Amino acid sequence: MNTKFDSDASHAPRHGLILLQVLIFGLFCLFTVRFWYLQVHKGEYFAEQARENQLRQASIPSARGVIWDRNGKQLAVNEPSFALGLIREDCEDVDATLDKVSEWTNVPIEQLQEAYKRGKKRVKSFEPLILATDLTFEVLAKIEANAVFYPGLKIVVRHKRFYPYGELVSHVLGYVAEANEEELEKDDGLALGDSVGKQGLEYVLEQTLRGKKGLKQIEVDALGREHNQQVLLDPHAGNNIKLTIDLDLQAHVAKQLEGQAGTIVVMEPFSGQILALVSQPSYDNNLFVLGVPHSIWKELRDDPRHPIQNRTTQSVYPPGSVFKLFMTACGLSKGFLKYSDTAYCSGGYRLGQRVFHCWKHSGHGTIDLKQALVSSCDVYFYQLGERMGIDRIHQCATEFGFGSKTGIDLPHERAGLVPSREWKRKRRGEAWTKGETLNVSIGQGQVLASPMQIARFISSLVNGGKLMKPSLVATDPPVVQSEIPLSDQDREFILNAMVETVNRGTARSLKRSDARIGGKTGTAQVVKLLNASRRRKTHEMPYQYRDHAWLASFGQRDGKSYVVVCMVEHGGHGGSTGGPMVRAVYEKLFPPESGKKKVAAASP
Amino acid sequence: MSPIDRRLLLHLNWPLLGFTFLLFGLGVLNLYSASGYRMGDEVSLMPYYHKQFIWGLVGMGCLVAFMLFDYRYLAHIAWPLMFATVVLLALVLVVGKTVYGAQRWLTFGGFNFQPSELAKFSVLILGALLLSKKQTRLGWLGLFQVLLVGLVPAGLIVVEPDLGSGLNVLLLLGGLILYQGLTGGVLKTLLIALPLTVPMGWFFLKPYQKQRILTLIDPSKDPLGTGYHIIQSRIAIGSGQLWGKGFLEGTQSQLRFLPEKHTDFAVAVFAEEWGFVGSIALVALFCVFLYLIFVTARGAKDRFGSFLAAGVFFYFFWQILINMGMVVGIMPVVGIPLPFVSYGGSATIVNFCLIGLVLNVSMRRFMFKK
Repeated sequence: MNTKFDSDASHAPRHGLILLQVLIFGLFCLFTVRFWYLQVHKGEYFAEQARENQLRQASIPSARGVIWDRNGKQLAVNEPSFALGLIREDCEDVDATLDKVSEWTNVPIEQLQEAYKRGKKRVKSFEPLILATDLTFEVLAKIEANAVFYPGLKIVVRHKRFYPYGELVSHVLGYVAEANEEELEKDDGLALGDSVGKQGLEYVLEQTLRGKKGLKQIEVDALGREHNQQVLLDPHAGNNIKLTIDLDLQAHVAKQLEGQAGTIVVMEPFSGQILALVSQPSYDNNLFVLGVPHSIWKELRDDPRHPIQNRTTQSVYPPGSVFKLFMTACGLSKGFLKYSDTAYCSGGYRLGQRVFHCWKHSGHGTIDLKQALVSSCDVYFYQLGERMGIDRIHQCATEFGFGSKTGIDLPHERAGLVPSREWKRKRRGEAWTKGETLNVSIGQGQVLASPMQIARFISSLVNGGKLMKPSLVATDPPVVQSEIPLSDQDREFILNAMVETVNRGTARSLKRSDARIGGKTGTAQVVKLLNASRRRKTHEMPYQYRDHAWLASFGQRDGKSYVVVCMVEHGGHGGSTGGPMVRAVYEKLFPPESGKKKVAAASP
Repeated sequence: MSPIDRRLLLHLNWPLLGFTFLLFGLGVLNLYSASGYRMGDEVSLMPYYHKQFIWGLVGMGCLVAFMLFDYRYLAHIAWPLMFATVVLLALVLVVGKTVYGAQRWLTFGGFNFQPSELAKFSVLILGALLLSKKQTRLGWLGLFQVLLVGLVPAGLIVVEPDLGSGLNVLLLLGGLILYQGLTGGVLKTLLIALPLTVPMGWFFLKPYQKQRILTLIDPSKDPLGTGYHIIQSRIAIGSGQLWGKGFLEGTQSQLRFLPEKHTDFAVAVFAEEWGFVGSIALVALFCVFLYLIFVTARGAKDRFGSFLAAGVFFYFFWQILINMGMVVGIMPVVGIPLPFVSYGGSATIVNFCLIGLVLNVSMRRFMFKK
């Protein structure tokens, strides 16, 4: 064996040696060129990338403005809420991580996967993608203890809206909820997972309440651990808002309406400020803040009593006899009516082949204007309406603010309707009939108004003829929208008739010796009743066929004036249903003077 | 006779020894930076550079051991060694310890042993022996004979799977074959056939291996997987610019954006901190190091010695080419470390042993005895 390799020529292969030298030279050239390319030619580019690599920018949440009632009670506040975010860049195994998160939080895995899929498109890979919100301390502890094994998971502290009084102020405040795709698309200031006003003042005053997010720069390593932070832009909290609502009064009013479907609004006629706005049934707006479960949402949506509907502004009803106040005002201002004008009520009014009944079957006999208002005689107003004609009524009603929105800072307000020939032709393609005019004259038929519009109208009678914008924000200056065309004398006449109505007419339940209170009841027919059932008592009829009950009123004492409008759906007669409620409201507004109370108590 | 006499020490290849230590020293220094992460979160009690230093000391002991005997004795044990290697490699597949899904280790009473490391020596020695006996360039027959010697152990290693080591073995043998030379016909045929077999080889690759090659072409396709390594590595290197960020100042590696910075991507740490100037200095050091091995191959007194040195040359050459190429983004990501610079116990010891072998050949070039 030895001989074989020993005896041979000991020379290394010549070309092999050349090959090795070529390889060494080639190696040197190759890497010199490559390093030159990376470090010198593109050095600046990569240096820039390196800087971006270590610095992440993140937004600093800003607190939403707090909402107070007029006395400084907190109606909408912010609470810290813990959410679980995932920083995708740091996450090693998304599936395993989501599985674990599902186990810790009891959120179904499908829901997490959905959240992840949705967030992937919108959230930068180094920003927390929110997987679960509003974690309890128990879940929080579980996560804190185990998150080490699942890099990328991060507890995010956020602001959560909380409404301490829940149902009580829901229709005024509305609520915030997570911004949806459409809102994110429209509004650059919103990021996925941000809350945005969806209803009520939260919606209307979104820009005031929201505030501005800040920006911070975080130096991180590749495991996502943060080393240094620098605030680039300070966050600005949203503006706080003080409302005109008096929470005590609101609660008191709500108590009166308990169990009913209806609304009571209390307005200060000179400023237009709303002191109480209650619509019932109501809902807990806290439910919406972190996403209302579908079952509860469905329940709310399908509830026949429509708890989400704000009956003060979003519902319109025939105003019934309350409309007679307007008819009077209109007749007087346009010269169709004098205080002394009388009419004879036999219990009905014949128009062609049809007889239009008065609510009092036996008739009121011969009555003048004031008496017609106090006893709410239908026949008197049938005749007035016939004299004026629908087009003048329409024109006049528009001047008094009917058929248009009040402009209150609440969304989805409805304008109501005052019909006209024109309207009917366009809408139905039919000619207007005189009979319809008679119906409108007593606030029935096509005419529709919201309780808020009625309150604004009554306020204009009280405050000297100004249609005020109903205001909910205490700092907003009073806004006069327009003046009604009515002389002071005529206004005073109508107010006095309302006082008379309280003293000896249909609104007797409001009668107070220590304050000036005027009112007008109304009963809005839900269905046209046959003669036979006309005299049936309210409680004998099925709920959904019962009339809506109105009570519009004002009260004055010691230089203070209030307008209270009550509307109870299917409540029957305004006087009997609304009366006690409104009376209770005035008791709160004008507490019985102690001296008089004692006297009253001492002498039964 | 004492195993080593004074003359041998006189003829010791001091420059090669010096460059070896220099590279190793730089490697440890670089590891110090790579593992000197300021948050101090390393789980292991002993930092990488510390461990590497100890491996180096063991390696130096081995180096001396590999210098002492006359390398020509290796010719006698070439075949038994190969036989033992194949048996152990087969054993690994049966009873080996599985770590990270790969069966690479045999455990003897707490001591882990990788037969694939042994395979590097067996293939080197047997390959050098067989080729040194050939007087002419290799024809088809000779090529197959030699290839057979490498294919069996390499195949077993690839099955473990340890693509890096398998590739090491094959490339070493391929280098030896190139050193011996191929006849014109064979060379021409191979030059034409190889580009054709590459697409065919594609089908034998595992999906993740295909992915790595595709990612090399466009790293942005897989920015969180293999592409992440390439992207981050390029950013680290590139941001070093001309003069570098300075020792321990490499933000990319210090902030942990760079993965595997102590093993396969150690060069990126170096390049980030020392810049273009440092990178080229490192490449130059490796070139001188290879040149010194080349000188040994050229000056060896017999063909066996020359082939042994040439084998070691190729062993280091391929690793430098592939590792650096991978780190600078011109080669696919394959787990091949950079000699003396990357962290790794067995690799370091094997490297020192192979240098010992080259020194052995180098110092005996004047001591040739019939």
